[in-house]
Amino acid sequence: MHTFSYVKAKSVKEAGDLLAQHVDAKLLSGGMTLIPTMKARLAQSSHVIDIAGLSELAGIEVKDGKLSIGAATKHVDVSRSAVVKKAIPALAYLAGLIGDPQVRNRGTIGGSLANNDPAADYPSAALALNATIVTNKREIEADDYFQGLFQTALDAGEMIVKVVFPVPAKAAYEKFPHPASGYAMAGAFVAQNGKDVRVAITGAGPGVFRWKEAEAALGKKLAAASVEGLNVDASNMNEDMHGTKEYRANLAKVMTKRAVAKLGGK
Amino acid sequence: MDTHEHHQLFNVGGAKVSRFEDIRLITGAGKYASDWNQPNQLHACFLRADRAHARIVSLNLDAAKRAKSVVSIYTGEDAQAAGYLRAPSFLPATGKGGKKPNVPQRPCLAIGKVCFVGDPVAMVVAESHLAAQDACELIEVVYEDLPAVVDPEEALKPGAPQLHDDVPGNCPMEAESGNEAATMQAIANAAHVVKLTVDCTRVTASPMEPRAALIEYKSETDSYVVHTPSQGVNMTRKQFGIYTQLPEEKFRVEIQDIGGGFGQRSTVYPEYVSMMIAAKALNRPIKWVSTRTESFLTDTHGRGNLITCTLALDNDARFTALRVDWITDQGAYLSPTGPAGHIRNATSCLNGVYKIPALYADFKVVLTNTGWVAAYRGAGRPDIAYAIERVVDAAAMELKMDPADLRRRNYVPLTEYPYKSATGNTIEIADLPGLSAKALNLADWSGFAVRKAASAKKGKLRGIGMSTVIEPTGAGQYPRDEIDISVDGASGDIIVHTVSQSQGQGHVTSFAMVVGNALGIPAERVKIIQGDPERAPKMVGNHSGGSRTMVGAGTVCHIAANKLIDAGKSLAAEDLGVEPSQVNYCKGEFSSPHSKKKITLAQLASSKKLAVTGEGTFTSTYPNGCHIAEVEVDPDTGVTDIVSYMSVDDCGHVVSHTIVEGQMHGAVLQGYGQVFGEHIVYDKDSGQMITGSFMDYVMPRAGQLPDIHMEEYTIYSKLGPLGIKGMGESGCTASLPALVAAVTNAIGVKHLDMPLTPSKVWKTLQANKA
Amino acid sequence: MANVNLKINGKAHSFDVEDRTLLVNLIRDHAQLTGTHVGCDTSQCGACTIHMNGVAVKSCTVLAGQADGADITTIEGLAKNGKLHPVQQAFTECHALQCGFCTPGMIMAVAGFLKDNPKPTDDEIYHGLEGNLCRCTGYINIVKAVKQASKAMSK
Repeated sequence: MHTFSYVKAKSVKEAGDLLAQHVDAKLLSGGMTLIPTMKARLAQSSHVIDIAGLSELAGIEVKDGKLSIGAATKHVDVSRSAVVKKAIPALAYLAGLIGDPQVRNRGTIGGSLANNDPAADYPSAALALNATIVTNKREIEADDYFQGLFQTALDAGEMIVKVVFPVPAKAAYEKFPHPASGYAMAGAFVAQNGKDVRVAITGAGPGVFRWKEAEAALGKKLAAASVEGLNVDASNMNEDMHGTKEYRANLAKVMTKRAVAKLGGK
Repeated sequence: MDTHEHHQLFNVGGAKVSRFEDIRLITGAGKYASDWNQPNQLHACFLRADRAHARIVSLNLDAAKRAKSVVSIYTGEDAQAAGYLRAPSFLPATGKGGKKPNVPQRPCLAIGKVCFVGDPVAMVVAESHLAAQDACELIEVVYEDLPAVVDPEEALKPGAPQLHDDVPGNCPMEAESGNEAATMQAIANAAHVVKLTVDCTRVTASPMEPRAALIEYKSETDSYVVHTPSQGVNMTRKQFGIYTQLPEEKFRVEIQDIGGGFGQRSTVYPEYVSMMIAAKALNRPIKWVSTRTESFLTDTHGRGNLITCTLALDNDARFTALRVDWITDQGAYLSPTGPAGHIRNATSCLNGVYKIPALYADFKVVLTNTGWVAAYRGAGRPDIAYAIERVVDAAAMELKMDPADLRRRNYVPLTEYPYKSATGNTIEIADLPGLSAKALNLADWSGFAVRKAASAKKGKLRGIGMSTVIEPTGAGQYPRDEIDISVDGASGDIIVHTVSQSQGQGHVTSFAMVVGNALGIPAERVKIIQGDPERAPKMVGNHSGGSRTMVGAGTVCHIAANKLIDAGKSLAAEDLGVEPSQVNYCKGEFSSPHSKKKITLAQLASSKKLAVTGEGTFTSTYPNGCHIAEVEVDPDTGVTDIVSYMSVDDCGHVVSHTIVEGQMHGAVLQGYGQVFGEHIVYDKDSGQMITGSFMDYVMPRAGQLPDIHMEEYTIYSKLGPLGIKGMGESGCTASLPALVAAVTNAIGVKHLDMPLTPSKVWKTLQANKA
Repeated sequence: MANVNLKINGKAHSFDVEDRTLLVNLIRDHAQLTGTHVGCDTSQCGACTIHMNGVAVKSCTVLAGQADGADITTIEGLAKNGKLHPVQQAFTECHALQCGFCTPGMIMAVAGFLKDNPKPTDDEIYHGLEGNLCRCTGYINIVKAVKQASKAMSK
């Protein structure tokens, strides 16, 4: 690791001020991505601002049909929360699949969404559930928030405070984990409200995306068979030694079908 | 042995343990290489080549030297000045046509050029590890890039980039075994000829302990103390001596716990030798701990063999000849255990378990711009077994025969052992017809069709595969194995010294069991000391590798214990007032029908020195086995699940079932790892390693092989008094062909090269459909 | 420099360390407890697993400063009053270790997830071991040890 100054922020405001003052500062929540990146000397920061303990970033609640989760909420807490399990069980299920137990004990929802790793799990839930990303400055709709490989709508000095998920009628997540890293090779989050079905795919492409053809077909009939004749465009998929573009496109479809089947749509 | 049988437990200070080394290791009291520290130590960090092949035009160390806490920086100039230019490499004296091998220079720090990504260019020594890391980044290197070659077949072609001036054609040596003319004649006359090329992929051992070293210089004696993971202190001292041209006496090796070896810890690496330069120049201890990425880049890799088998069969499907053309990729330099083990072990078992009248193998050793390669759990044994078993399965498919039938038709019958193969190798004994029949029966081979149909109903493709394998274990590089055994006068404990070195195999327990059994006393009273820095250099014996330690040192424990009894009888005779021939020994006590007195080992040792050295020399024993795997493939995702895994093995006498089971579990899962995901991959254009961390290199995980149904089929070896055959590697050897056979059977193809990733399997299924 | 005050295995410590110091280095180099190991650089292997405020975490992916005020348990502190923790006992009885390098992290991870899930199914055990790599045992005996520890702890 390169040298840096470690600062424990006392409030969201202080963290925001520090971010504004130091262009090379980084926010540290769970640190599950930032610390390994710094260890590999791939990131250099003048300041590391620890926001993990801020009470403003904590809390899980349901109000007016919306599930709100504080940015510093750990994956383990989302996966075990009775509130989440009741409101959006698929989200609790997803959180329980992230990384491994030790990672879930540290990593946070805000950190995952701010980093927007193309193979992270949470972005698919946020996008499919049409979540609102609430920052220290504004509210951002999920459709506007994710902007491709590690890119988000967050400005410099902006930080996520909480994530608000409208509670859907039904939702399901299916993931094909990368055999080495445990990230998603392809993950499909399917959320349904009446005729409105949203399908978000993570891992397969350079960033989380909505599979709109599948959404349209599933809106007509919520059944795995509705997706059978469709194909994710392989040319836009990632490719490496673990999977070709075509394979990842296939996985996106298979995971979608399995998620739909879980919703009860055989 | 049944996997679920109750394990033997020992009682140590009131705690129940299955091995004597366990208490230390489960309470955090183990001492691994990176746990050694010395006051006043400095920390080393290596600047490594970031490219596969380049000339070093210039090195600017100024900024790095000025950096905080930096003490000194060393480069190829220092390697040159020290004369540390040639890593040891134990090759046959001559190759094909009597030609001497061309061994490339491997200086401990690169001189003038780098040959693979990771090649050490400079070593920074600083007051802290972080300061050394910081300073490494300040070194400016100007490189002139050279074309690189990472593919061994490409490297052999005329016009390929040349790695070393002294190795023309990137081929340090060619070797051969068997009779080429007879083999080609038989192939020409054959009713059927089946040819198959398999890639026994390059992988890495990845013991969980990363490489590390602490090197101290002793100015008063101008010598070095070394702490580093090693598979045997004497082998380590020998290699240090060769690399530095210093006498072995100049090296004292002190080690305690080794966090896994698998062959990768049988090399004295250039980093250690570089650290000697600094330790002497600065007269301070130097410590270095490798990162996992450095491990991937610079620890010796394993396998990396492209093997073509040409199998000839007559009209009755009997094998008449086998030709093997073997290209072994050794990376940028030759490692100590590099190609020699592959050539020797493949030659020993070139017939597999089959009666094949004509055999020939051609080995081409090739250098590429990649990390170097050495022994990895089996060192050629898994490779040759994999190649032969795959071509036998291919033959069965081409001839539309049951693979079990084809094998049965060709096994060397029990009556023909000891069997002298067409490469001149004598195999003591094996009963593959009987052993495989037991395995086929247990696996219900004949009932497979019913299970396949049941899987098909669930939408799964079920496959079954078998392997029948044999391998040489036991012959060592030293003239004999010695064990020093004595009785401690104060405690009465039995003290045993060995130069072998467990890296997790539990020799401290299994040796104690052998000695305890021979002496008729509880194993708890036997203390095994491995590689004592004072004692070991005075003893002769092999390091631990090649599944040989129980065959060699383990058997000598028995010999030494019996010698101790004889020595004790002579001494006890005086106390009992009888002739030595009138003394009996039983369960730690000497007595005589001619005396009323009795004297225990401990009593005897309290007044007399009771110590002997046992020794033995061993040729190869031949463990063998049949493994049968059954799998289900999900056609939607290409994922393979192991439905059942059955092994029937003959490893002779088993000292500890617990340890043998553990070895088999680990070895089979390492085989699973290579079959389904592990693969060291370099980018063909840039020569960069693609799989340099656990984020990309697919390590097997819990649950992927839920259980192994293990059974024994024991035939004692007569080559040693205990009847032991080595077994530490046989799980790798047998699992590669069995698992690949099961998957190819499930998806209906003749062969598919490892790794059988879900993506590759799915793609193959798509191609089949089309 | 950061001043880090924390409890390790019940004992209070205060260290002045560089801000970039990792918790695992504080434990190994400053507190000189070398039972906690480092097996990788990417938070995959789990050899460095310890308990931080009762929860299993990878100490190679925590800054020392983040552990200020924390209550840390390492493998050295797991046995109480000379009596092995049931997970330690099960690991030796089931021969769930060979070289022993991954073992401290493996035991700490298992002790961690058994707290949350005292009676795991096979699949839950596999899932619970996802953060830890072992190269020697093939995991078969580790899974057995988890089951045995679970049984012993529920008595």
